[in-house]
Amino acid sequence: MTRDQLKDYIGSKYASLMTPLDTGRFDPMFEVKADRLFEVSRALRDDENLKLDFLCNMHATDTRENFEIVYSIASITTKLRLDFKIVMPYQNAEIDSVQEVWPAANWYEREMWELFGINVKNHGNLKRFLLPDDWNQGHPMRKDWDAPDFVRMPEIQ
Amino acid sequence: MGLIKKLPYYSEKIPGGAIVLTSLEATLQFAQAKSLWYLLFGTACCAIELMCTGASRYDFDRLGMIFRASPRQSDLILAAGTITKKMAPRLRRLYDQMAEPRYVIAMGGCTVKGGPFYYDSYAVEKGIDHIVPVDIYIPGCPPRPESLMEGCLHLSEKIRRQKLSDWQEK
Ligand code: SF4
Repeated sequence: MTRDQLKDYIGSKYASLMTPLDTGRFDPMFEVKADRLFEVSRALRDDENLKLDFLCNMHATDTRENFEIVYSIASITTKLRLDFKIVMPYQNAEIDSVQEVWPAANWYEREMWELFGINVKNHGNLKRFLLPDDWNQGHPMRKDWDAPDFVRMPEIQ
Repeated sequence: MGLIKKLPYYSEKIPGGAIVLTSLEATLQFAQAKSLWYLLFGTACCAIELMCTGASRYDFDRLGMIFRASPRQSDLILAAGTITKKMAPRLRRLYDQMAEPRYVIAMGGCTVKGGPFYYDSYAVEKGIDHIVPVDIYIPGCPPRPESLMEGCLHLSEKIRRQKLSDWQEK
């Protein structure tokens, strides 16, 4: 299956779940509603033609209005790749864990919870991971984060 | 007599030889300044330059600097590399485990003042002098082996000039 065929395939089969985005990126990109995340993940993994069984990467971005969480997935057997993202409001951000689908998500989700303060439902092991054990200064990857000894880069003229 | 010539001494000839008197302070300091065994504490890219200094081209050993893997056998921590806030308590702990007299060299911009991570970083400690007392600062990113060796020579000088009573105060 080529990239364009993959786009068409997803467009016809998962039209109600995934909206294609035109990002100009190499891998096709889709948007998924936060409450359908688990459903979509399981469908993509179990789809006989796709077999997207490998979570390459997963990251969150703070756009100052929303959080965007991007999942990059691939398949070992069919060699397909695609990305999909979830856009969620800043307040009370919360996603479902996809650990059951891709166990590799465990640490990514823990990191996201720790650095962005995005709550992960059904994770089961949300513990401090990268920051010092006695950290109490909030979520440092948020754009509006601040701390007493945090120095912002001055504007360069 | 090579060693003796470098120390303040008094020598009295007696039949069959001589008696040499010198001060304990001078002897100890001479010995100490010439054999600084350092604790390898390479946490980032500066450690590469430290390894280069230890290798054959620059040959750190000829200054009496031999790396140790245990704080109990070291006189000196060569903190080479970025110290994050998570690493800071470990550095302090290793420092506390060393026997007196002990010294610290802060190698590279990171250990001096946060270096390239001074701005926009939540994780990096802005200078290890918040954690342990530092004797010599060597700026640079990374400092060249020449600078590192000069820093070590400065530390030797510093040891030569200190008094025995200073040991108690640190
Ligand atoms: S001072 Fe530069 S070379 Fe040294 S550890 Fe920091 S970033 Fe690396």
